[in-house]
Amino acid sequence: MLSIRNLHAAVDGKEILKGIDLEIKPGEVHAIMGPNGSGKSTLSAVLAGNEAYEVTEGDILLDGENLLEKETEERARDGIFLAFQYPVEIPGVSNLQFLRTAVNAMRVHRGLDELSAVDFMKLAKETTKQVDLDPAFLKRGVNEGFSGGEKKRNEILQALLLEPRLAILDETDSGLDIDALKVVADGVNALRSPERAILMVTHYQRLLNHIVPDFVHVLAGGRIVKSGGRELALELEERGYGWLGIKDSDEVEAG
Amino acid sequence: MKTAPTLSSAFLEAAAGKLPAPLQALRAQRGKALADMPLPTRKTENWKYSSRYLKLTDELAASLPSGRNSGPGLAVDGYHVVIHNGVLVPEASDFPDVDGIEIRSFVDLDDDTAQHLADRLDNTLDNNAVQMARLNTARFEDGLYIRLRQDAVLDRPLFVIFEADAEAAGSVYPRIYVDAGANSQMTLVEEYISTGDQTALVDAVTEFSLADGANVTNVRLSLEGENIHHIGATGARLLGHARLDSHCVGFGGPLRRHDLQVRLEAPGANCRLNGVAVTQDKQHFDNHTTIEHVAPHCDSEETYRNIAADESHAIFNGRIHIHKDAQKSNANMSNKNLLLSTGAEIDTKPELEIYADDVKCAHGATVGQLDETALFYLVSRGIDRREANTLLSMAFINELIEQIPVEAVRETVQARLNRFIEQAFEGA
Ligand SMILES: Nc1ncnc2c1ncn2[C@@H]1O[C@H](COP(=O)(O)OP(=O)(O)OP(=O)(O)O)[C@@H](O)[C@H]1O
Ligand SMILES: [Mg+2]
Repeated sequence: MLSIRNLHAAVDGKEILKGIDLEIKPGEVHAIMGPNGSGKSTLSAVLAGNEAYEVTEGDILLDGENLLEKETEERARDGIFLAFQYPVEIPGVSNLQFLRTAVNAMRVHRGLDELSAVDFMKLAKETTKQVDLDPAFLKRGVNEGFSGGEKKRNEILQALLLEPRLAILDETDSGLDIDALKVVADGVNALRSPERAILMVTHYQRLLNHIVPDFVHVLAGGRIVKSGGRELALELEERGYGWLGIKDSDEVEAG
Repeated sequence: MKTAPTLSSAFLEAAAGKLPAPLQALRAQRGKALADMPLPTRKTENWKYSSRYLKLTDELAASLPSGRNSGPGLAVDGYHVVIHNGVLVPEASDFPDVDGIEIRSFVDLDDDTAQHLADRLDNTLDNNAVQMARLNTARFEDGLYIRLRQDAVLDRPLFVIFEADAEAAGSVYPRIYVDAGANSQMTLVEEYISTGDQTALVDAVTEFSLADGANVTNVRLSLEGENIHHIGATGARLLGHARLDSHCVGFGGPLRRHDLQVRLEAPGANCRLNGVAVTQDKQHFDNHTTIEHVAPHCDSEETYRNIAADESHAIFNGRIHIHKDAQKSNANMSNKNLLLSTGAEIDTKPELEIYADDVKCAHGATVGQLDETALFYLVSRGIDRREANTLLSMAFINELIEQIPVEAVRETVQARLNRFIEQAFEGA
């Protein structure tokens, strides 16, 4: 489904990703772990098409098509979804209006009729329940004044509504209390299907207890330095990153 | 030395029509005083950015012919009065029948009432700052006199629809005077619209006199077409604990100027002034506001937002004048601007004059662009880029639109703003 080949990316002329190779097949769950500043969010942003990051080398193919040639909105319509590490607050745009506009954009792209305000409201209310958010959150500005955990649940809410093919979750587990972690994990598990792949960025093994990954990768200094099965996460939890020849705080060297 | 241009005499030759004698006399007197009025130029401080849009050619001098029976034009939700080219059209209007409330056409006033009115017209406006309002007083052919007796409450909003019908070139001088008695209440929605496609000038003046405890909401919508040059002034004087809640929404044009002057003259008087102006192509919009804190213990809250696209030009000038005796004044002014293109121009200027020492006065002005991070967030959900831009631009002004307390207006305005902004992003 997704092939990343020798991906290099830079921001403000500073190289952050230094040759990433990754294959993701439908139905698979991949976890990416790694020290702060190693490039995990950069990889997520590049996949979603954030223009602040410049791809300097390599390819990304989605079902054989060159993803890098597509605008962010086209990628989204082709099924790429990024749950942001720091979801953006947009006062003045109601969450409901935002969600409905997004869902209808997706539906039109898929050849379906737009949902009426009433039908969408019904769907949105059901889905807020699924992520344990009060429907009152639909009326508020997008993420406006949401707590950290509420923002993360709002991201999962969007994933559930938009039904992506590849969901990239950038630290959707961080800042969650134990109950919220369970809610988010249930949401992600509800997304799992044979046609859909999930790429999870996380620092913690505890999420992986709820959402069992097929593969775990360690990203350090802009490269994947090790890949393995779920047992790799346990090992990392126990031993840290040191045994891989990197320090816990290993960052891409300053440019 | 080159002499400054003065108002062409063609503007001062119009007949007084059917106005009662005291108003005719007032008109004639103003006309005389205007005979050698210098027109604003680039050097005129309060027209610095806008004089280049002011084109008072002789073809605009003639009054537009009036009196056609047109409908209310826009969706209204309340009482309505239709004023066609400056003259009231009773057949198209729906007047309230409420105790203590009189709404009369200037031409129908008896001489005593007309004299009472003539003594008060222009009293709310600083005539030196609002040169063009004087032309209105020299030229109006009719007007609306609204009088609320003490404690009178108008139960539904009154819509006044000013239609400039520009079948031929010319000018029109809409006028309203609201005399709100103690503790009276009303909502006045002014809608300026146009038909026809010839060049025309609309010079409109609305005045409010609010007695103790009066509470008036004023919505002013500037919706005229590309052929209309609009110069408007709104003046208000507020006595003790009176409140003015003003909402001005304007779409750009070849010349759009609105002066809003509010005087807080007795303790407890307070006002909220909200304004939104949007411009695109080569359009212009200029809002000049003045709040005079004359008495102590008065509050003013002012929020204006502009969105300028393409090569358009938006101006905001907000003056707050806190007089020597106006202790414990509380004044807040904010002006935020959104530039949608590098070719657009925004000029914003707060002017604070504070002569009292125990006051709270805050002001802020910003000019910015759409937030790229927010845009990325929206498009990453599959939302079309143009729609995302529109959503974000609307978000910038929605907070103010949502405060308009008349639902029908809110909806109309939201839909129009949305269309306007979508257009601004077309081909961008
Ligand atoms: N817009 C930017 N401008 C400058 N530097 C940036 C920018 N974005 C990312 N970086 C730098 O790139 C490096 C990788 O950042 P990234 O956010 O991808 O790390 P991460 O692995 O997600 O870290 P964390 O675990 O802390 O979320 C960091 O050193 C960061 O400071
Ligand atoms: Mg990160």
